[in-house]
Amino acid sequence: MNWTEKYRPKTLSEVIGNEDSKEKLVRWFINWRSSDKYGVLLTGPPGTGKTATVYALARDFGYHVIELNASDYRTAEKIMEKLGFIAYGNTLETYISGRPKKLLIFFDEIDGIDPKEDRGGLDAVLKIASKKSVPVIASANFIDPVKHKALLDNFEVIEYKRLTPKQIYIVIKRISELEDLDVEKDTLLEISRRARGDARLAINMLYAVSVGGDIDVVSNPLENMPLDMLLRRISSSSSQLEIKTLLDSNSNHWEDVLYTYFDIISRSPVMKMERRAALLEHISILDVILGRMKRERAFYLMKYFTAILSWIVNQSNRWGAVYDGRIPEYRLYVFVLNRDVRAELDELLSRYGRRLHESRRKFIFDSVLAASLANPEYKKLLEWVGKVYGIEDVLRRVKQYGVSKN
Amino acid sequence: MEYQRIKYGEPFQIRRRLGDLFRDIVRIKGVEYERGKGFIVRDYYALANLNKILIRMGLILTPMVECAVCRRSVDCEKCNFTDVCLKDVSICLCDECVSREDIVKKYLTVSKESLHRYLK
Repeated sequence: MNWTEKYRPKTLSEVIGNEDSKEKLVRWFINWRSSDKYGVLLTGPPGTGKTATVYALARDFGYHVIELNASDYRTAEKIMEKLGFIAYGNTLETYISGRPKKLLIFFDEIDGIDPKEDRGGLDAVLKIASKKSVPVIASANFIDPVKHKALLDNFEVIEYKRLTPKQIYIVIKRISELEDLDVEKDTLLEISRRARGDARLAINMLYAVSVGGDIDVVSNPLENMPLDMLLRRISSSSSQLEIKTLLDSNSNHWEDVLYTYFDIISRSPVMKMERRAALLEHISILDVILGRMKRERAFYLMKYFTAILSWIVNQSNRWGAVYDGRIPEYRLYVFVLNRDVRAELDELLSRYGRRLHESRRKFIFDSVLAASLANPEYKKLLEWVGKVYGIEDVLRRVKQYGVSKN
Repeated sequence: MEYQRIKYGEPFQIRRRLGDLFRDIVRIKGVEYERGKGFIVRDYYALANLNKILIRMGLILTPMVECAVCRRSVDCEKCNFTDVCLKDVSICLCDECVSREDIVKKYLTVSKESLHRYLK
């Protein structure tokens, strides 16, 4: 069982850090009916104890939590379908026993609901909360003061701050005592230092250490790393957990990783045909999942996506198909990390392509090398193409054609 | 350079003649002024912005937080984690308490006691 779940605080006193916020929440909860606000909105970065506080609070006061994650329930229709009857007090239990069960509605990651795109999702939340039939608590990592103005106007905002390293130390020391781990104090302090105020991350680091791993595997300061670096790291890893952690931290590159591995596996000269077929089969499943995630905003599929993708990468590494620095041709631009450079390059390629009356793709592959031989004007362009194409490959070609880099 | 210790959310007087700078200071988000009491700083970012002004007058304000266990004042600048901490909380822990063997037990007991009045 995941330690973050296993050691989720059972009572409010076990929630470490954010003492002021905790007290504010309890004070509101005691008088929630008479409060002039519809509910409470807990805001703060991940791993600061927002969800843990809500569950501990419910337990301490004998409430049952009905949690809705905004990733799964975004539209008014879905929210009302799930909660409408509760808001109006029409639960089956109330009907049978005549006594209503004490319920608490918790909207997790409410910032994921877009007031415009999600067809009245936020209005539905406000409508349910305004009935005041049950206490409503929402949580968010980041609230846009313009987009979520209605929420800010009608909910009491309680801010959660990142835990200090010393508070993180208490969190992981408690777990190490409960698990009876043989971890030195210095290691615990080092984890506290590296966790950047995120208790969840610290617990995962402690878990990695307890199973003989390295803190670095989890602490991974390279969130949103460049695609090339990410591909090199995952292709050199032999641990599926490490691959999954890296993928989870770099969600902006999932599509690129998927298609790069499609390319790697398709071209691999060493992989057996049946193994290749099995991996490509899974890639096709991920392609469908990715499409649904984008089209239907079905973000609950994310967990399957990284789990399957990390398996594909791990198996591909084991079966000899590894990343060799080649990016699939249609994803040329991903190497250029700076948006301005990318836009400039985009415009230049189009302009040069038009001048030669050919498509941009044809221009890159057929004309640019020849053009750079003939005209110094194209040398800078060649350098850029070198970056987008994967430097080694282009430089090899440049050498072959006798063009100096400058 | 003179250092003055302050606590988040608690009023204090700045040990300098501010003159025209008063207006600049109260315009900082997270800094308030209460007549008769003094300035109140709400978070570390406000403090950092305030220090940008005060440093010109040879004064730096440093945050003091309260230890959740022993309630003593803790100087953030002297903490071992000062380089990795955001220093934006008003309650933390002192070095002595962190080094205690039974710190987890003690912390949970104190936490339970402080919430007891609400959970009766």
